[in-house]
Amino acid sequence: MSVATTGAQGRIGYEGQDADNPDLQPDKRPSGDNPQEASWLRRARANHLGLKTAPLGIGLLALVVFLYYRSLGLGDSVIQLSSPLQWDTKLWPQTVQHLTIAFWSTVLVVLVAIPLGIALTRPPLRRFGPAIVAVANSGQALPAYGLLIIFLSIMGQGLNTVVVALVVYAILPVLRNTMVGLDGVDRSVIEAGRGMGMTRRQVLTRIELPLAVPVILAGVRVAMILNIGMATLAFLIGGGGLGVTISTGLKLQQDPVLIIGASIVAIVALTFDWIGALAETYLRPKGV
Amino acid sequence: MARPPDRSARTALPTRDRTRDRRMSENADTTLEQNESTTGGAPSPGDRLRKIRLEEVEKRYPGTKQPAVASLTLDVHEGEILVLVGPSGCGKSTTLRLINRMIEPTGGRIFLDDEDVTKANPDKLRRRIGYVIQQIGLFPHQTIAQNIATVPKMLGWDKNRITGRIDELLSVVGLDPDTYRGRYPKELSGGQAQRVGVARALGADPEIMLMDEPFGAIDPITRDRLQNEFLRVQEDLRKTIVFVTHDIDEAIKMGDRIAILGEQSVIRQVDTPERILAFPVDDFVRDFIGEGSTLKGLHFETVDEHVKLEPYPTMHVGDTPTDAAARASEANTDWILLLDEQDHPIRWVAVGDLERGEAVTAESGSEVAAKVSLGATLFEALEQMLISEAAVSPVVRDDGSFYGVVRLTHLNRAIRRARLEAREHYESLEATS
Amino acid sequence: MDGIISWIDYISGRPDEILETTWDHAKITLIVVVSATVFSVLLGLFVQSRPTLRALSLSLAGIFLTIPSLALFAIFIPIVGIGNEPAIYALFLYAILPILRNTVTGLDSVPSAVVESAKGMGMNTTRQLLQIRIPLAWPVIMAGVRISSLITVGIAAIAVLVGGDGLGTYIQGGLTRLGLPNSLESVWTGTVFTVLLGLVLDLVLATFQRFTTTKGQRL
Repeated sequence: MSVATTGAQGRIGYEGQDADNPDLQPDKRPSGDNPQEASWLRRARANHLGLKTAPLGIGLLALVVFLYYRSLGLGDSVIQLSSPLQWDTKLWPQTVQHLTIAFWSTVLVVLVAIPLGIALTRPPLRRFGPAIVAVANSGQALPAYGLLIIFLSIMGQGLNTVVVALVVYAILPVLRNTMVGLDGVDRSVIEAGRGMGMTRRQVLTRIELPLAVPVILAGVRVAMILNIGMATLAFLIGGGGLGVTISTGLKLQQDPVLIIGASIVAIVALTFDWIGALAETYLRPKGV
Repeated sequence: MARPPDRSARTALPTRDRTRDRRMSENADTTLEQNESTTGGAPSPGDRLRKIRLEEVEKRYPGTKQPAVASLTLDVHEGEILVLVGPSGCGKSTTLRLINRMIEPTGGRIFLDDEDVTKANPDKLRRRIGYVIQQIGLFPHQTIAQNIATVPKMLGWDKNRITGRIDELLSVVGLDPDTYRGRYPKELSGGQAQRVGVARALGADPEIMLMDEPFGAIDPITRDRLQNEFLRVQEDLRKTIVFVTHDIDEAIKMGDRIAILGEQSVIRQVDTPERILAFPVDDFVRDFIGEGSTLKGLHFETVDEHVKLEPYPTMHVGDTPTDAAARASEANTDWILLLDEQDHPIRWVAVGDLERGEAVTAESGSEVAAKVSLGATLFEALEQMLISEAAVSPVVRDDGSFYGVVRLTHLNRAIRRARLEAREHYESLEATS
Repeated sequence: MDGIISWIDYISGRPDEILETTWDHAKITLIVVVSATVFSVLLGLFVQSRPTLRALSLSLAGIFLTIPSLALFAIFIPIVGIGNEPAIYALFLYAILPILRNTVTGLDSVPSAVVESAKGMGMNTTRQLLQIRIPLAWPVIMAGVRISSLITVGIAAIAVLVGGDGLGTYIQGGLTRLGLPNSLESVWTGTVFTVLLGLVLDLVLATFQRFTTTKGQRL
């Protein structure tokens, strides 16, 4: 298991863009010349500051971990310590594997959840929307651990099993945010588009989707972080990843192994969360 | 059409420049007038081109007993602003949205230029019709220019034509193209956003515009300015416009004709604003117009040949006071109007002072604070009359020279004549039907 | 179908044991949610009107939620040893963000006119807080608490990996005996009862929210 979704929020990480949470803050969006603009601007700036300082913080953390790793003097230490911490044969391949799992499961989540979310906001399927959102909300209590083992029993060991289980687990936030994002588009904007003679498809591709991009991206970012976190459990069903090092540390009761494993996972997660935040900031349509 | 010479004097007031144009043309052709306005919206094969026709249009929502719009028949003439006005919930917006089929009618037929569009492709239909809504609905992720280019792009205009069109339209709605074309909607004030909304609706130069409370969410001062500007733009563009509002004053100001709608969009009265004010057909209309309809009616009467202006005793500096006093008592007035060398009215001089033989200078008596021009409305004349020392409103020609005065009896006569005309009009309608 | 029948057999064979494990799971969750709620609401009240601290605390809470749970659990082992403790500390850190964020946004959403008029009637800061701002922000705060409780229930299932209790023991038990009789039934028990516990807890919190929200505020 891993980082849990903040589901209803649709995002984790940097403060400042929570104006995208359509459920919990009905009217937080700055509109015209209202007095909330000031606080909105302030938060936008705080967010920007977060984007700039995050790499520094992550870099610093990486440096500390590196110095700690060096101080362990692996060359002279016992085999239980030196073997699991070898960079070339253990840590680096595990990191690559970890990211491979997270990457493919995120890509698959996006490919499945966004079209599904679009379909569930179109008239024929629209009435199922609230039920899906409710399921997505309570799905946050689903233990990833149990889900992995269930898929193991169905599909056997291996990377494919991990990826499929991750997709099932991380699909809900993207699905939910796609639906919420599309539903959150101002009705009058859609009405204006239809009134000018845009077809339904044009309204979807030129108005609804671009305007829902920030919320959808937030969901994708959550899914990505969930996937990185859950990939930590891939070792349980022979999927590899950095969880192997953490579990070795647990089994051998070697705290340094535990700490190095956990730290690298944390650094990877924080780095990709930052990349997600960058994407959210720069892929957000101008004027929104 | 002839244009009143003094439009600038009246633009600030809640009346319209076109009032007189229309009055004159109608008076010149009374048969046309009768065809044009009906209480029930019966078919009108009149001379004026029929641009939109709703024929027994009906909207019934599933699961409701009462239709939202019950069998509505209505013609909209080319180049006019037809205002749909009624209490909230009467279905006026629904009716408007039936025209561009944002709502599909469940019965009846809709014609544009005598072409049945009831079953036409709704998207293609809407590209021919400008649409402005109260919430404006600008696309927040697109620049002002992109917003305005929406329909031209869908219609496949070439790039240069679109660029030119954007700048042209921004100028039309009073926004500097260089400043605004690259901005995003969130950088606009409410009034500016609504101007862009109108520009966007005009994008591909549609012949028809539908406007659903377009100025409803804007502060009163800006609204007044936008209304006046819009009327000015409309004078050049002569679009066929259906305009929805719940505000009778806005309807009176904007409408060439007004359709007062009751429950289920049933037309209670459709006619020119002046005739509705002069002769509300029933209590519903009377209640809806509310108090002061007589006063509002004065907006549609002008100081011109219809009002037989009276002479008023005048004098110039240097005239013998007693002669002047004699002229005044002959005319039975307490005041005499002092004119300067160009015959511009300048002072009110009391007859009593003259009788005492006081010499009259340019400083005698009290200042003429208020005068109206030929072509001004009787409403303005009334306002001036109320503040005028002599309780009459002096009227000047275009060159400023004194022409005559308007008295309260003129207003009284004008209103009564308007009422009589309206009543006769409706009686003759009844007789023919 | 056979699977479902054998699963029902499995759980009906050991109801007491399952309830006890579920209660263990619930205990961890309750400790975490209650302490995180108290901490986060107080923190939220403190930082809401202090932009720098507010950004800082929200960012920090966001970082905790970003770190994979197994890693965060593991980091606590060298400090507090194995068992329930590392799980509780880590879960506490996870539970902060949703409550903290909803507290500040809930307080933000209280119309300034309402606070202004309270001030105008002579309410002091404490009174404004207790009688106006918190009650008005309460539904939003509670929404955050509910999210945190769902997250906590779900993640607490891996406490077993760091030597803790809870429904994760059924999942782990099933995994180690995979292929043997009743192994899958055990995994399903752990998974299903975790979700059920989450739903029950959410229901309890929803009821609590309903009774602690003034009528004028209920949606």
